[in-house]
Amino acid sequence: MSGHAIELRGRKAWVLEEGNGPPLLYLHGFVDVHSVTKEWMPFHRGLFSGARVIAPAHPGCGESEDNDNIDSIEDVVFHYLEVIDALGLERFHLAGACVGGWIAAEIAVRHPERVCSLTLVGATGLLVPGSPIGDVFINSQPQRGVSLASLREMLFSREDHPQALAWFPDGRGPIDNEVRRYQMLRFSSQFGFKPPYFYHWKLAHRLHRINAPSLIIWGEADRMVPPTHGHAYAQHITNAMGPKIIQGAGHAVQVEHPEDTAGLIVDFLAKQQ
Amino acid sequence: MYPVQLFCWHFMAYPYLPPDFDEKYETGWVTVPNSLWDSERSKGLYQEYIDQLVYADELGFDGLVLNEHHQNIYGLMSSPNLIAAALTQKTVRSKIVVLGNLLPLQLNPLRTAEEYAMLDNMSNGRIIAGFAPGGGQETFNYNVPSVAARRQFWEAADLIVRAWTEDGPFNHEGRFYPLRYVNTWPKPIQKPHPPIWIPGSRSASTFVEVARRGYSYFFSSRSHGAETDKAQKQFAKVLEDHGDHYEPRRMGILMSAFVSETDRQAREECEEGVWYFLKNCLKGHLRREGRQLTIGPGIPYTPAPAWKEYLEHSQPGRKLLGDVENWDELDASQSIIVGSAETVTQRIWDIIEKSQVGNLLIQFHLGNMPPELVRKSMHLFATRVAPSLRERSVKLFAKNFPAAADSAEGRATR
Repeated sequence: MSGHAIELRGRKAWVLEEGNGPPLLYLHGFVDVHSVTKEWMPFHRGLFSGARVIAPAHPGCGESEDNDNIDSIEDVVFHYLEVIDALGLERFHLAGACVGGWIAAEIAVRHPERVCSLTLVGATGLLVPGSPIGDVFINSQPQRGVSLASLREMLFSREDHPQALAWFPDGRGPIDNEVRRYQMLRFSSQFGFKPPYFYHWKLAHRLHRINAPSLIIWGEADRMVPPTHGHAYAQHITNAMGPKIIQGAGHAVQVEHPEDTAGLIVDFLAKQQ
Repeated sequence: MYPVQLFCWHFMAYPYLPPDFDEKYETGWVTVPNSLWDSERSKGLYQEYIDQLVYADELGFDGLVLNEHHQNIYGLMSSPNLIAAALTQKTVRSKIVVLGNLLPLQLNPLRTAEEYAMLDNMSNGRIIAGFAPGGGQETFNYNVPSVAARRQFWEAADLIVRAWTEDGPFNHEGRFYPLRYVNTWPKPIQKPHPPIWIPGSRSASTFVEVARRGYSYFFSSRSHGAETDKAQKQFAKVLEDHGDHYEPRRMGILMSAFVSETDRQAREECEEGVWYFLKNCLKGHLRREGRQLTIGPGIPYTPAPAWKEYLEHSQPGRKLLGDVENWDELDASQSIIVGSAETVTQRIWDIIEKSQVGNLLIQFHLGNMPPELVRKSMHLFATRVAPSLRERSVKLFAKNFPAAADSAEGRATR
């Protein structure tokens, strides 16, 4: 594993980078590297055979420093333009899960010429009438002061999934783990909490600008971002495959079915060579 | 020297919940279904609550306290300024404390500048202006991102004070509320401006911001043990750091009280209202049962290092005020002081003596307490508790704060 910091005009951003192949910028979600672990997960390792995976931690997450100028998705995109430039990436494959998928889509509509391919996994970002995105914030408030069952229920196919219990335990988990989760909530609240909630009214009508081949992956039982959102992405992006629905998986599809999810992406990237 | 200032705080709880509310509903806040609102029984409810505050004015309380909450059964004042307006017309003497308007919930803080200025005129200069950022519930109620809310708060508060004190029109170049023409009509009566109170829960940054501006601090805890004394000492220290000095009028605390003829009678009379308050009104706020929304990882306004420190010094699932299981536990929390006039006097005096706090904001109406009991308790407090607290506190404060005694004359409560 190769973690390193990059400098962005005085701010430090922490980046994990590993694998063989063309560069793949991966933006993390809630149940993901930097949000629940410091290390790669099996899913990311599954991508190493097809790409050099570059996974920055969002501002204020992990060892990345806060960016006080973030209060809209626009600000997050500008942050990532600085990251992309600092990494020296001219053209690159782009992927993201959950909130990271939303950020990836927002980057892609602004700079389609730099994106070789786009992969979205359970991405927020769209308004789908009748299918609201689940409230990660209210569900992060423990019931009876200790239970995160409703959060696990929303993020996984089942509340008692072993990984769910490991990363979102009842009571007090390891403090570093709690702080890591908190950092992701704090970062995402700065642009995702305000109305509208985790989406941007204008994104749907901008998605046509993405001309790169795109892969949409969704968990069948995603209760945070319902699969209808996957269909909406696939409908609006011109050159989209999917949504590839992973049966039995919840929102944390890349955690519950790491081989299947990574396999889909590696195959997809191979076709882009 | 001045005596302790005694305020009557009314939260205006919803008193008509079904008896099985606690079993059936997860919370009394934000998502508590408003189908529970009984329009028929609630006729005259606001009038009764206003009348209780008017009675407090007649009984000689130094002030009446209102605050803002939304979508809950704990406090039905979604707009405290409306109640304050009614009180300006029905009271003549007491201060009216709005503690406070929740500034980040507003589109524009000029609205508070205008309404408080109107209230100050309508009350002939009796308004104490509270500004608050709003707790976790309001984040969910009004969908206010909590990180930005904390940043917006002080810009809003400073803009209001500038609108009161500086002649307009002027241009405000703030990050959140840029305004070309700030020109508030009317201006408040009190000069340079109404006293300003800021609530806090012992966070270091709030002490500093309050001290920098010379405002008063309201410690918003409902329990009064070591934390209250610690808060007073911390605030006093921060004031010294800013070239200022602590005196009792610079700080207020909240407590509840019920007074009756004897200790035993007091407990018997208030117990139903007390448990209604603890089990129902505090559910979702100061109770671990259900889902507490006041603070936590879902309202992540605290920077991560401070959150880490909080985690290191707190127990998950610890008992909160609303989780007390019996009367002894409740007694020990020093939150709801119940007893004969003698008992209540002594217990409140102990808190004053330890904490050196000069503003006691006392809640008399609890939960579904019948109006006649509230009034009896207020009357006994005003006639048999207040005089002694006032007399003893003048001496205590004069002894402990001689410098403040010299400057006390002619200086309004800040």
